[in-house]
Amino acid sequence: MTMEAESVIRMFHVHKRYGSQIALHDINLNVMKNDFVFITGQSGAGKTTLLRLLFLDEEVSEGQILVNGIHLQRIRRAKIPFLRRNMGVVFQDFRLIPSYTVYENVALVLETAGQQTRYIKKKVRQVLRMVGLEDRLHTYPPRLSGGEQQRVAVARAAVGNPLILLADEPTGNLDTAAADMVFDLFRQLHTRGTTVIVATHDCRLFEKVQGRIIELNRGRVESKHNI
Amino acid sequence: MNFTTLSFIFQRVRRNISTSPYLHLATTATIAFSLLIIGAFGLIYVNINNLIRSWQDNIRVVAYLSDELPQGSRERLQQRLAKLYGVGNIRYISKDDAMDRLKRQMKHRLSLLEGLRENPLPASFEIRLVQGWQSWDRLDPLVDQIKAFPEIEDVECGQAWLRRFSQFIAFFKLASLIIGVLIAATTVFVCTNTIKLTLYTKRQELDIMRLVGATDTFIQTPFHIQNLIEGLLGGLIAVGVLFGTYRLFISKVQSPHLFLSSGEISFLSLTACGVLLSVGMLMGWLGSCLSLKQFLQS
Repeated sequence: MTMEAESVIRMFHVHKRYGSQIALHDINLNVMKNDFVFITGQSGAGKTTLLRLLFLDEEVSEGQILVNGIHLQRIRRAKIPFLRRNMGVVFQDFRLIPSYTVYENVALVLETAGQQTRYIKKKVRQVLRMVGLEDRLHTYPPRLSGGEQQRVAVARAAVGNPLILLADEPTGNLDTAAADMVFDLFRQLHTRGTTVIVATHDCRLFEKVQGRIIELNRGRVESKHNI
Repeated sequence: MNFTTLSFIFQRVRRNISTSPYLHLATTATIAFSLLIIGAFGLIYVNINNLIRSWQDNIRVVAYLSDELPQGSRERLQQRLAKLYGVGNIRYISKDDAMDRLKRQMKHRLSLLEGLRENPLPASFEIRLVQGWQSWDRLDPLVDQIKAFPEIEDVECGQAWLRRFSQFIAFFKLASLIIGVLIAATTVFVCTNTIKLTLYTKRQELDIMRLVGATDTFIQTPFHIQNLIEGLLGGLIAVGVLFGTYRLFISKVQSPHLFLSSGEISFLSLTACGVLLSVGMLMGWLGSCLSLKQFLQS
């Protein structure tokens, strides 16, 4: 199998500017299938921007991005939702819908994809069991702890069996025990074949998995190395 | 779109309405109020139009004959008149018949007629028109044709006031149309802003839906359905209030002295009610389309 065939994400000379401010400068990146990649760097280094470019929450100013062979700069607006269904995204602030129960938050992904009710029920229970929240199906997110909310977010990201899992500072708001629990879930998903990209400045996480670290500094790649 | 998606969409409609009921009540009330005004104009227009039509149906042309016209000539004239396009029934009113009719009409003031030495009233033909010839553009040329007969001294086609009244009604119709369009536009504007308020309160939820792969159609459909329901409800309320007011009005209009009798006042037809409901739904739908377009582009 060629390297091209195994590439899940490729970035070619990607630049991102907000007015005169440079957020990313000449980023070249190749993420292979089932890679575990950490994007690290200080606040303002461009970690979040890089992830947002990948799930098309932002558009590049210059350069090209290919996700699973799809050219993001040429994708039609109507096709974006279908691209996003191949990705699970976890945010630092969880981004759960407070008026939806835990079950409804997770099921939303499958409902938008038009899955059958029976499948949705089975799959959501299965994923919530995996994150240890099967008994909190009908609880609303504001009644959960930070760690539990992030596990719901991971369940939501995982329920659609995505090819890629993107996590933006997923442990930033959690204590050590909760952070470890969430990171264990990432490892489980990685073991099942998901490509995981985690943007974090929590160096403690690097010891927990074999992967690659890409360090950003003021929007430029400072270093790349394997761990 | 499968059953799961449909059921989820209707769940969201229920959730949207139950989380901000007053906002949706305000939209429904606005639509109902504007449809009530539009419907009231329609009701007035329909009834006045019916009244004018019934008056127009009774329009007759009276052709006055010269006193010296012998009977044979009169009969030939009647045959020639009957051949004109638009002429229906022709009735001959002799001088004596005309006097008898006048006496019947003036039965309380007969003394006014006592001093007359001879009958001053001319004989005439009362010409009724065939169906469809009562419109002014057809009537005027026919009157000109009748006037052209030398045996006819004068032609009277009263109802000049009716013509002026019809012109006023045409103006009323135009004014109602303009007011109706303005009210509808205002209602669409209100609906647009109500949906915008809902969208802002649900911005986080909708952003998350987009992030997890919801299509624009999936996001928009509940709002369209919700506004269609509000439009339909507003329409039903407007038709209900109009019908109640109509029933109340006709129960009061029983007096024979009024120029309208209750039997002559009709309510909007089923088709017109259907149109009113459709307009309500259309206003709601347009409101959601405009606000969602702006929101999804932002």
